[in-house]
Amino acid sequence: MSATATNPGMSSLGITNIGQISIITHDTARATAFYRDVLGLPLLFTAGNMAFFDCGGVRLMLGPASSPELDHPSSILYFRVPDIEAAHRRLVELGVKIEAPPRLIAPMKTHDLWMVGFHDSEGNIMQLMSEVPRG
Amino acid sequence: MNMQEGTTLSRIGQIAINAHDVDRATAFYRDVLGLPHLFRAGQLSFFDCGGVRLMLDKAEKPEFDHPSSILYFQVGDIRAAHKRLQDGGAKFEDDPHVIAQMPKYDLWMTFFRDSEGNLLALMSEVPRA
Repeated sequence: MSATATNPGMSSLGITNIGQISIITHDTARATAFYRDVLGLPLLFTAGNMAFFDCGGVRLMLGPASSPELDHPSSILYFRVPDIEAAHRRLVELGVKIEAPPRLIAPMKTHDLWMVGFHDSEGNIMQLMSEVPRG
Repeated sequence: MNMQEGTTLSRIGQIAINAHDVDRATAFYRDVLGLPHLFRAGQLSFFDCGGVRLMLDKAEKPEFDHPSSILYFQVGDIRAAHKRLQDGGAKFEDDPHVIAQMPKYDLWMTFFRDSEGNLLALMSEVPRA
C-alpha cells in the first residue's frame, strides 16, 4: 500500500503494524465484562462467542480456543497508562488481583519505565506500563 | 466503574513472546519477518512493529512457558508476503484466504509458525472494488 511503503520503520516483508491479538477466554461474557468495565476498553462488536475490543488501534479478539493446542495463557500484553499509581489504585478498588505494587523496571536515558502486573478474569497475566520523564 | 482519567489504557506498548532459543528467534524476527531490531539486553531481544515493542524472552518459570498469543501482522499484499515468508523458510498452516467479508473490505488471513513454534498470522484488509 502506497501510504505505508515509504515508512522507514517498516518491515522488509511489508508488515506495517500489529492489527490484532487473540486472547483465549474460558467465559467470553465474563472476559468481555472485564475488558469493558474494569479495563475500560471500547467494545467494537461481538460475533457469536467472540468479542472484539480496540486498544489504541490494535484489535483485541477475545474468544474460546478453537483447538486444545491453542488453549494456553495469553502473551503478556503491556498496556500504556499515563499515571500508573492512579491506574494501580483503580484496579485494586475494582478487586483485580495484582502481582506486586508498581515498580521501576528500568531507568532509561530520558525516562523511568514503571510496570505493575495484574491478572485478567481468565487468569492471564498482563501489565500496565508507564514511561515517566526524568525531572 | 471503570478506569478514569489518568488511568486510561491508551495503547499496547509491548508484547512478550516466549522463545526457547533467543538467538534463533532474533534471527527469525529480523531476517524472515524483517522487523527492525531495537536492542538486545542479555536474554531479552526487542523489536519494533509499527510502534509496538516485541520482547523475545525465555520463560522465567515453567508456568510462563507457553506459546504466544496469536499476533496478526498487517501487510499490504498478503500473497506477496506469504510467498516471501515461505521462501524464507516459515511453515504455513494454510494459504491466504478470506476469513470475513466486512462492509467495506475483505479480511484475508494466513497462519504460520515462527522459529519457536508460536502460531502467528498475516492479515490484510482488501478494499472491495
